[in-house]
Amino acid sequence: MDPNSGYLTTTVDAVVNWARSNSLMPMPMGLACCAIEMMAFAGPKYDVARFGSEAMRFSPRQADLMIVAGWCSYKMAHAIRRVWDQMADPKWCIAMGACASSGGMHRCYGVVQGIDNFLPVDVYIPGCPPRPDAVIHALMDIQEKIRNQYSIKQDYAFGPQRASPKDTAPLMVTSSGIQQAEPDVLRDHSVEQP
Amino acid sequence: MALKFHFTPADTPRGDETNPHAKATTEVADTVQALREAFGPAVQDHLTYAGEHTVYIAAEQIVAVCRYLKEDLGYSYLVDLGGVDRFVEDGRFEVYYNLVNVAGRQRIRLKVRVEEDAATVPSVTGIFKAADWNERECFDMLGITFAGHPDLRRMYMPEDFAYYPQRKEFPLLGIPGSLPLPPQTPEGSLTMDPYAAAHGQKPVKSYEEPRSSK
Repeated sequence: MDPNSGYLTTTVDAVVNWARSNSLMPMPMGLACCAIEMMAFAGPKYDVARFGSEAMRFSPRQADLMIVAGWCSYKMAHAIRRVWDQMADPKWCIAMGACASSGGMHRCYGVVQGIDNFLPVDVYIPGCPPRPDAVIHALMDIQEKIRNQYSIKQDYAFGPQRASPKDTAPLMVTSSGIQQAEPDVLRDHSVEQP
Repeated sequence: MALKFHFTPADTPRGDETNPHAKATTEVADTVQALREAFGPAVQDHLTYAGEHTVYIAAEQIVAVCRYLKEDLGYSYLVDLGGVDRFVEDGRFEVYYNLVNVAGRQRIRLKVRVEEDAATVPSVTGIFKAADWNERECFDMLGITFAGHPDLRRMYMPEDFAYYPQRKEFPLLGIPGSLPLPPQTPEGSLTMDPYAAAHGQKPVKSYEEPRSSK
């Protein structure tokens, strides 16, 4: 293998997060008029296919993003929670619109005053209903969240702080044996550097 | 149950209202006369307001009146049926029936008043099948029972709900703990606090959930 042929080192997290964030499959939990805006969000004009999320999955087993669009009654809450529990990890949740976020104008006995009373919501969208642009923005926020997450949570987010690993260079197999890569090994040596 | 409330001042019709949009279909004085002749004292009262006739019927005669209107006078279409909580001491609950005679182009409204401690009205599902779900809704929201209804279950609220939410004394935001929310984790217990998030309880992300006991 020619060491100058060019290759890339990366972390598994970077690849996995890149793949996950660009192929979010929404579970459309359309409960009211927000669902109409959610259809526009998935349709050709606002075209969420640009973000890889156009495939609405009506089976919770295939979905990893639940968009709760509309007001949620106490009776429906149990069904939503069951669908949420059936979704495979990792999964994310968007509370779309004022009603899903806080109960909205339905300040009454039968409507849950915010789905965060029983679901771990990642992004709230204000609006009544929100424009499809706002839903796309929420999706981009979810993508941002996914890109910044680590698979080994103990190393970064939880647990005792550990010393940073020593600076190391990856090992390369060259024609003269195994050796450590030079720091600028990825640079294209045929191009003059400024 | 002792109720404490302010009475709404009575709004009696003046009798001289003219409804410019009233149509001839609501002028059914002959039907009212026929009801009076056929049922006598069961026709308790008769009200004309804005060109529309409302007939108050004794509760035990409502089925017979509906059958007479349908079979003899041609009122074959039950447009609407619903309940009212008037929130007064006498005749607190009211059930109204809007009937239409399609062929004869006539409309009439019947009303039945019942007391709070005996809120039972005979069901008219034997005459108008359309009354089925309306009576269920009326039972669910106001607690008026319909004797003879084939399937008197709650319409909107959960089966084990203990209250009638459209009664005036029912608080607008409900009774805390009467409607449980789902558990915060798959194997947790029901959330009885309707404002769990406001009280600091946040549902955990699934990867932070406690391990399953199974």
